[in-house]
Amino acid sequence: MQQLLNGLFIGSIYALFAVGFALVFGILDRLNLAHPAVFAASAFIGIELVTVGGLPFWAALPAVAVVGALLGLIVERVAFRPLKGRADAHFAGLISSIAVAGMLIALLQWRYGAETRRFPADTFPATRFDVLGAQVTLLQVVIVAVCLALVAGLTWLVARSRLGRGMRAVAENPTAARVLGVNVDRVTATTFAISAALGAVAGALFAMNVSSAQLGMGSAIELKGLAVIVVGGMGSLPGALVGGLLLGVAEVFAVQYLGSAWRDLVAFALLFGILLLRPQGLFGGRKARQV
Amino acid sequence: MFTESTVTFIALGAIFAFSFYAVLNAGQLSLGQAGFASVAAYTSVLVAPDPDVVGDVPALLIALVVGAAVGTAAAVVLGLPTMHLRGVFLAIATLGFAEAVRIFLLNAEWTGGAQGMSVPKIVTPAIAWMVLALVAYWFWRSGPTRYGRALEAIREDELAAGAMGIDVGRHRLGAFATAGAVAGLYGVLWAYTVRLVAPADFGFTAAIDGLVTAMVGGTTMFIGPVVGSAFLTVIPEIQRALGVEAGWIRPFVAGLLLLVVILFLPGGLAGRIPRRIRVPNLGGGSGGSDAGSDADGGSTDLRTREHAPRGDVVARLSGLSKDYGGVHAVRDVDLEIHSGELLGLIGPNGAGKTTLVNMISGLVAPSSGEASVLGVTAGRTPVHRVAAAGVSRTFQHSKLFDRLSALENVLVGGHLVTRPTLLRRLAWLPSARRDEQAALTHAARCLRRVGMLDAATARAGALSYGDQRRLEIARALAADPSLLILDEPAAGMNTVEAGELAHLIRSLADDGLAVLLIEHNVGLVRQICDRVVVLNFGEVIAAGVPAEVAADPRVVEAYLGTEA
Repeated sequence: MQQLLNGLFIGSIYALFAVGFALVFGILDRLNLAHPAVFAASAFIGIELVTVGGLPFWAALPAVAVVGALLGLIVERVAFRPLKGRADAHFAGLISSIAVAGMLIALLQWRYGAETRRFPADTFPATRFDVLGAQVTLLQVVIVAVCLALVAGLTWLVARSRLGRGMRAVAENPTAARVLGVNVDRVTATTFAISAALGAVAGALFAMNVSSAQLGMGSAIELKGLAVIVVGGMGSLPGALVGGLLLGVAEVFAVQYLGSAWRDLVAFALLFGILLLRPQGLFGGRKARQV
Repeated sequence: MFTESTVTFIALGAIFAFSFYAVLNAGQLSLGQAGFASVAAYTSVLVAPDPDVVGDVPALLIALVVGAAVGTAAAVVLGLPTMHLRGVFLAIATLGFAEAVRIFLLNAEWTGGAQGMSVPKIVTPAIAWMVLALVAYWFWRSGPTRYGRALEAIREDELAAGAMGIDVGRHRLGAFATAGAVAGLYGVLWAYTVRLVAPADFGFTAAIDGLVTAMVGGTTMFIGPVVGSAFLTVIPEIQRALGVEAGWIRPFVAGLLLLVVILFLPGGLAGRIPRRIRVPNLGGGSGGSDAGSDADGGSTDLRTREHAPRGDVVARLSGLSKDYGGVHAVRDVDLEIHSGELLGLIGPNGAGKTTLVNMISGLVAPSSGEASVLGVTAGRTPVHRVAAAGVSRTFQHSKLFDRLSALENVLVGGHLVTRPTLLRRLAWLPSARRDEQAALTHAARCLRRVGMLDAATARAGALSYGDQRRLEIARALAADPSLLILDEPAAGMNTVEAGELAHLIRSLADDGLAVLLIEHNVGLVRQICDRVVVLNFGEVIAAGVPAEVAADPRVVEAYLGTEA
């Protein structure tokens, strides 16, 4: 039981991170590899807001989301918008987002140095609960609640709101959407901003959970995020949520039964299994290849 | 400024970048090279004999051979199950592989974990540059061969490459295996340079560095990786010379460079170097005036094909149907195409014409019925086999290899009738040169036949619309087909151009080819076709000689609607 809960805690962070990936891929058909850099950057910025700015954790989280959204806008403007209309935009976007990610991490190194940064010990009350015989900290409860609320909010947004209708129209056919009066550029930019804001909150929560942030934390979770969206079905939001939770639980059980050294292999085992057996993912529909 | 180690690292960086170049040049993004390199490095360090016993250089040589072999094997093992993945999925799968290898090496006991294993330092700048020269030699010599052009064609348009008879799967796997071998060489050299094999040197960052180097240098010219590596290795040196000692500058500049290159210089730094293409001199005028006089077979260095005698059936469709989720695109079509016949296929938009020819050329599998084309069953045979049987086609929307020259496009079209020259070119045999020359002459003849020899060196993507259509015909002709399918070749041409085109198409059928012509211009079809088939809502509504068909009330109705 304890293991299952621990898996769900870490899994909900994976899910929140991967939902950002999936959102951009599902709607714009682009893989944004700068997403992990935003994740790392917001962890550092979150720590700075708490230690230097003196913000309480509650206030720092929305602030981080705003910073993340701004970073998302920058990524879209710099790495993706100039490629619009190019035949190799798919491929080029992958590379240009890697480039922006590299620059962002370099800037972090310049600003914060290469050492690990920590949240102050008293940022969060160390309250504990007993749930069905398992130990749960207040922080973990908050993490799960925030992640689930954000994913649920996003799902509602995409399914119900006017913006979400625009997003789905763009996903279906950008040209037709433009003809019908959807401001495709604005929808695209907003999608990137929302995606990055989710990634930013995931980064701050992740750093909070282990109470530290490192430059390499982005690339460590990047591969897991990719595994999650492949498992869930590229671009599927519920797929990313289920995939994230699944990965978190699978990792915790791998640690228990195989040893902690093999934890990180779980993601790749899942990734390969799905790619070979069901490339469209658990929740993805198969897109017909066009002649 | 150029210390010994800088010089060595330029060579190492270039070799690693070549392993990315190998796949990027074929249009695949693989991020697994660091995985191949580490597997190769660890294995060869374990297997290679002690340098104190056999001497430094022999030990390194053995290690390099082992490394290249292990790298190739790793690439093939990963490639076989993942080659059907495209684009992003291949990148993710290979990245996952590299990361899985790294974690495995980190945790296995024989590898020394994070500390790695220590290795003697053997590699000198001379050795590193010799290996680089060898690798660069491979890419230099393989570029302008049948194999090299096939890879470029796959990069530009996989579907069209398959329709030209290129076995896409095998070529992609070949490129992947090459990447594995080169990455293996890099892994071994790296170990014997830095005296250590450790998992940290083969992580995600290393893969990105290799990718950056390859992209910045350029992925369409064999010299690209060397340019890229020299450029990126020298940056920290310049930085040091200027007295700036911040660790973040190099990754920042590398990222910025990559961004600038991908946004503004898609061909990389080496893409600025113009490609040199020699157009063979065919003698006589270069115009299209003598079209028809130099049909295929003029050269003895080409493979020749057996063509069916005039009047034989080259394609027989029986009950051919295709449904797309309840929509009957093509319904129960029976049709025979004979050699030497020019058969027109007309019908309103959405009548199923393109679906029908996609089935005949093997791109689309029929839902029911059978298409027996030149002895193969289209739809159950891979596209490149259908092409090898003698089917060649153009596409409704031009599918040229845009970044290649017109002549190179036609050379790719000649894939099936030219001989492989890669190995002989590596060994510098004169017969390779002869065969390449024969292929060039053949391609130039095909260009001349459509009247485009003057545009031989132009980039296909930069040609006018009408020229692109004609170039596609030349490319299709280069395969020396028995059945030529032309999907709306006159679309977008003016009357004069269309008239010339009609003349050309007629002359092809007179040479004995079976030609299936899809066309909207009914006048053109009436003027040149021997027989016309009319398709409406996926069904054949009329067939026969043009004059009869044009008078058929059902045809008039399909085109103009019922009389009110």
